[in-house]
Amino acid sequence: MAAPPARARADYDYLIKLLLIGDSGVGKSCLLLRFSDGSFTTSFITTIGIDFKIRTIELDGKRIKLQIWDTAGQERFRTITTAYYRGAMGILLVYDVTDESSFNNIRNWIRNIEQHASDNVNKILVGNKADMDESKRAVPTSKGQALADEYGIQFFETSAKTNLNVEQVFFSIARDIKQRLADTDSRAEPQTIRINQADQAAGAGQISQKSACCGS
Amino acid sequence: MDDTTFSYPPIDPTTFDLIVVGTGLPESILAAAASSTGKTVLHLDPNPYYGSHFSSLPLSDLPSFLLSHSQPAAVSLPTDLTTFSQSDADDSTTASQSDLVTVDLTTRPVYSDVEISSHSAELLELSRKFNLDLTGPRVLFCADSAVDLMLKSGANQYVEFKNVDGTFLCSGDGKLSSVPDSRSAIFKDSSLGLAEKNRLGSFFKLVEGHLKEVGSDGGSRRISEEDLERPFVEFLDKMRLPVKIKSIIIYAIAMADYDQDKLEGCKNVLKTREGINRLALYHSSVGRFHNALGALIYPIYGQGELSQAFCRRAAVKGCLYVLRMPVKALLIDKESGSCKGAKVASGQHLFSNEMVLGPSFMIPWPLANSLPDFLQAKLEDIGRDVRGKVARGICITNSSLKTDVSTCLVVYPPKSLYTEQVTSIRVLQIGSSLAVCPSGMFVVYLSTFCDDAIQGKKSLHAAINTIFSVATSETRENSSYEKSEDGEVKPNLLWSALYIQELSMGSFDPFCFTHMPDGSLNYNDLVDSTKEVFQKMFPQEEFFPETTFSQLDDDGELGPSPSDDSLDS
Repeated sequence: MAAPPARARADYDYLIKLLLIGDSGVGKSCLLLRFSDGSFTTSFITTIGIDFKIRTIELDGKRIKLQIWDTAGQERFRTITTAYYRGAMGILLVYDVTDESSFNNIRNWIRNIEQHASDNVNKILVGNKADMDESKRAVPTSKGQALADEYGIQFFETSAKTNLNVEQVFFSIARDIKQRLADTDSRAEPQTIRINQADQAAGAGQISQKSACCGS
Repeated sequence: MDDTTFSYPPIDPTTFDLIVVGTGLPESILAAAASSTGKTVLHLDPNPYYGSHFSSLPLSDLPSFLLSHSQPAAVSLPTDLTTFSQSDADDSTTASQSDLVTVDLTTRPVYSDVEISSHSAELLELSRKFNLDLTGPRVLFCADSAVDLMLKSGANQYVEFKNVDGTFLCSGDGKLSSVPDSRSAIFKDSSLGLAEKNRLGSFFKLVEGHLKEVGSDGGSRRISEEDLERPFVEFLDKMRLPVKIKSIIIYAIAMADYDQDKLEGCKNVLKTREGINRLALYHSSVGRFHNALGALIYPIYGQGELSQAFCRRAAVKGCLYVLRMPVKALLIDKESGSCKGAKVASGQHLFSNEMVLGPSFMIPWPLANSLPDFLQAKLEDIGRDVRGKVARGICITNSSLKTDVSTCLVVYPPKSLYTEQVTSIRVLQIGSSLAVCPSGMFVVYLSTFCDDAIQGKKSLHAAINTIFSVATSETRENSSYEKSEDGEVKPNLLWSALYIQELSMGSFDPFCFTHMPDGSLNYNDLVDSTKEVFQKMFPQEEFFPETTFSQLDDDGELGPSPSDDSLDS
């Protein structure tokens, strides 16, 4: 992962990139908004406009900046860009406990992750909409737990609506990743270049040159 | 990709402001630009991955992509296309849309003379570790219009880059000389005498003075119109620059494609105006970004990331994405002849007023169904403006062609490899730190303009034989040395793909087809032409309206306001 720009270094001890993955309509964006903004809306139809959200949390005295990316609706036709997976340290695999096919598709999503994400990425299984009436439930908790055990990952049932376990999910995966990063001592990788307005080295000659060559 | 039992999903809604077919860079930029202004956009691609002719592919997918686009589509498309005129009858009975006719859409070959050689059986097992660019060699200049566009659109958030560590020019004697990153580096060059350095100093002063005044009216320090219109090479001669520096400026900084010393036969004479602009681009690229040391940068995971970045941008702005969805026919308005939508592989009809098609799509001729005469004539008229060809090569090797440098650009100017060489051959080596190949390997891209495949292949082979040690069973004449002129051990060639790509320009009327990747090293021209297409399509809309962050350096706050210019007039 890119090292933070020097001026922001005091902001946090770790920067962790998380992804939300799962079928359309399982509540990924709702989980994200609940965790980042503390808000919930039922009128959500399809994700438009959420790119990523940031929330900084504190774990064992360390400030951890979570950058959590939403799918931007590209999961609907299984057209997530491979670029979405780049640099992800943790992935929340989300299904809807009232929708069995969203649970069955988790295996496909894991296959997708194996293809495109880095090998050591942390995963966590999330059964959302756990507040729904038991009569509507299609995936028993035991089934979710069994799948998680099969892949050796943690499992939570959540509700973005009632704020059940939302904090726990994000804190849990953040803790695992922080541990992994601390263990591997995150040896200094060669720096990558991000192109940002703020990172432009402003020189006096620069500006006149630039307007001369990129007039359009 | 993973589902063999794939069935085409229904798309909902069915009406859009714009439908884009193909996810190459120009198409992706257009989808993002339209979405950013609030248009509803559907973006389709027949492939299971993003990027079309601008993608970066795993090793095993690259040959099949090139081959499938090097023959007429009849072979590669499903056979049910032939039953099309039958289904047209159903289409025309669709009550509300009876003013539309369907016209088949297919693909045309854009590559030829594809030549794959493999000297290492193990490579295929590592196929997915490779991200091989179809558009190579390609880089971004830190101050070029693609970088500006990424900043403006917000697509910059999705891509990280690394520097190209160095640029080298091969001189006539086979030696590689380093292209200086800065003016001070030139003056440290011990091969230049004091007089030459002085001439160089006054040349830079002249260019700088010119550039400072070029935005304003008048100005005494500007280079004369007459000089700006003459060949750059003559201007550099007039400035009495040393031969070596002149060559570096023309071929390794201004990136001239054709021999500028033989002006009468030269296809593309670089004029002073353009030469100076390119020099300025190079100069302003150096040091533009924090920790980008040189002028050139390359995206981690390959050039295919750029299309994906714009697609992600489009998706965030509401664009609907459906991959693995071939378009089988266009829906044409009987009265106006304009395109009103598409019929996709599922049989579903999707409607829009604007339509953008990737460069390899075409309407097969003669048409399967009969149309009103004016429409026949209009469709028959769709020609593609093809401006020559580019020969490209992708080579994989397990040692660097330049010791201690992992990612570098090497330019072989005209005549440096053989006497009849009229074009510059550019070679870009990308190391595994850019995540394009397994660690310890290198991907080397080559390209050169050519009139035909024979000429193009000759140039590529000349460069490959100079750079690599080719396995003995494949050894070609005159290539038996194992060391280069510099005495460096030549890297072994493990795998290569050579191909000739057509340079087709985009077209707008009656349908919008985008460009194939051009033969340049960066995306400047491509970004400019894509912007033009957008402005023709949506004349009322801004090409990526400014988002939340303000760009101090770009909205002229630091420059003089127009009213301040009146002093000279």
